[in-house]
Amino acid sequence: MFQLPTVQFTEEQEAFRLEVRNFLQAHITKGTFTPAIDSWLSGVDPSFSKLIGEKGWIGLTWPKKYGGQERSTLDRYILTEEFLAAGAPVAAHWFADRQTGPLLLRYGTEEQKQFFLPKIAKGECYFAIGLSEPNSGSDLASIRTKAEKVEGGWIVNGQKIWTSNAHVCHYMVALVRTSPYDEKKKHSGLSQLIIDLNAEGVTIVPIKFLSGEYHFNEVFFDNVFVPDNMVVGETGNGWEQGLAELAFERSGPERILSTYLLLEELIKELKHQKNKDGLKQATKLLAQLWALRNLSIGVAKLLESGNAEDVAIPASLVKAIGTKFEQSIPEIARLLVETYPNLEAKRKFDRYMAQAILHAPSFTIRGGTTEILYGMVAKGMVEK
Amino acid sequence: MSEMKEMILDAAGRMLKENISKDVVDLLERDDWARGIWALFEETGMFNVAISEKHGGAGGDLEDLLHIVRLTGKYAAPMPYAESTFANFLLEATNQAIVKNIATYSLKEGFHLQNDLISGSLHNVRWARHADYLVARVDSFQGTQIALIDLQKATIEHSNNLASEPRDTIILDKVKPISIAPLSEEQLFYTLSIETAFKIALMTGAIERIYEITVQYSKKREQFGRPIHRFQLVQQHLAQLAGETAIAITAFHNVCAAIQSKDFLHEIAFARIRIEDAITTITSVAHQIHAAIGMTHEYTLHQYTRRLWSWRDEGRNSPFWSNYIADYLLKHDVDLWAYLTKTIGKK
Repeated sequence: MFQLPTVQFTEEQEAFRLEVRNFLQAHITKGTFTPAIDSWLSGVDPSFSKLIGEKGWIGLTWPKKYGGQERSTLDRYILTEEFLAAGAPVAAHWFADRQTGPLLLRYGTEEQKQFFLPKIAKGECYFAIGLSEPNSGSDLASIRTKAEKVEGGWIVNGQKIWTSNAHVCHYMVALVRTSPYDEKKKHSGLSQLIIDLNAEGVTIVPIKFLSGEYHFNEVFFDNVFVPDNMVVGETGNGWEQGLAELAFERSGPERILSTYLLLEELIKELKHQKNKDGLKQATKLLAQLWALRNLSIGVAKLLESGNAEDVAIPASLVKAIGTKFEQSIPEIARLLVETYPNLEAKRKFDRYMAQAILHAPSFTIRGGTTEILYGMVAKGMVEK
Repeated sequence: MSEMKEMILDAAGRMLKENISKDVVDLLERDDWARGIWALFEETGMFNVAISEKHGGAGGDLEDLLHIVRLTGKYAAPMPYAESTFANFLLEATNQAIVKNIATYSLKEGFHLQNDLISGSLHNVRWARHADYLVARVDSFQGTQIALIDLQKATIEHSNNLASEPRDTIILDKVKPISIAPLSEEQLFYTLSIETAFKIALMTGAIERIYEITVQYSKKREQFGRPIHRFQLVQQHLAQLAGETAIAITAFHNVCAAIQSKDFLHEIAFARIRIEDAITTITSVAHQIHAAIGMTHEYTLHQYTRRLWSWRDEGRNSPFWSNYIADYLLKHDVDLWAYLTKTIGKK
């Protein structure tokens, strides 16, 4: 069985946590944003992202020469946790900060790093993640969007789907097939391209989510030209590069805290009603959150030591258990406090409940379904 | 953990692994126990870990002791190691001289002091029939005290838990304690939480072992021409087992880390609540993966699942700690996020 490190935050880290918390509280008071459930995916606010960029809080761990702050993975953990606990609208820059930045730092050319990273860090440049396609959800090796080599670049044809926030993003890192599809070698011949979403031949069609909001999109590529200097890393190495990103994507606090605001409101309501029995039942949720944070912080600490291979399995595990937990909060909360879920409700509990219920089905799907993750974990267990 | 401490743990782990077979664990069912391993533990100073130097301790701290207790849980060691060491912990905490022979303890209400003599009865006292001494909570008009009692002066009625571990009834009739000392409210709570930490350590050990034997079994056992771990539905069970095991182990390590910081009551509470939940899943999933063989006495799985089903109800369990947290939240005007991130009152 793998063992994760335990972490006691230092005084400096605690001070940083409070700095972020006070900043967010001040902006809630000022009315800059209204806290909401699942805001890391659905809370798009470019002006707020710019504010975060000005604070130096995007690309926190990146080298200073690319606009970063060279701070630790644990500092970044604290920062993201505070954003989530406050329900701050950070979705515009989220994927660029979490995935594109680390990807470019690891595999990008110097030119790409100098061009993209400082803009991302300023909160002015957003990236969409181009993985899913209509017939390949969890089975990414089956993707068919293809790029054909032409003079000076590539011509891309195909379609991506479930692309979060593509309609507000400037670019997409798309996983595409640069060699013909081979049934026997499905993982080879894939490459990552940076596609300008304003380029000719790109069409973005929103998909209305069950809550009535738009954050998913279909993105069509019709003979889109991508210049050679927009290939990330090695041509044909897209699968391995993509896998390296996943540990960052799967183990973060956003897989635990998407519905945290509802839990906080639940405890407030129970305290207000002096409902001790209800509070006793709610302690199960608190104990689960405590346990999951320990796991997730442990994975962050491992990532800091740079051993991405060791963390793939624990990261998948955190994602699988964490998302089930965030999904369970509305189910338990509704049994403890009477509610009429309504997206327009004045009472926060009812409003968060409505947001949580309508967003919850996606938690255990986005970023890898629980079933696929369980399969990966089980394989890792028997191989050891 | 220092190198020295790692050596102690290595030694303890090796002694247990080499000396405890299924038959040794089964001694309990014939009302016997592992005296040989007990003697080995005595020879190598395993009882002096976490005892202060003034009482002849060998150095080491509570964290080291908890790790040895975890190992005794991992091998289902049929001997009162956790009980003896915790009894001495109670004596030390109340400034009384520790004992060398086999001891057990109880922190439940049941004994009363009148005219310096103890009377009353206590149920489910661990290992009482094999112990020389009892360290027990005694209540009187002066408050709660901790007494050291010679068990020769007690009437002991035998009883067992689900795993055949001795859980006896002790009856005292006007017995004079060997020593006795007061225990403040605050100390009582502290000792209850350390007792819970001991139980968490035992449970974690048993969980680790269940994980190991279940993964092994899923690789070895074939059905329909392939090992069962290749079946998707079995993989779902295995992944659940991995998740709950990871949670338990990480919770235990965080309790160990917190115990050094003194601010650990809530950590112990959360760990105990969460591990009891893990036990529900782990025992059911492990038996499901093992199917029929796991239910036989011949196979070892039950030595761990029966213990977990017993231990989760012993000591201060999740209802007690849920009540503690609920009370705390009702009485204090704390922000939940500050509470969870341990930044209460900081601006």
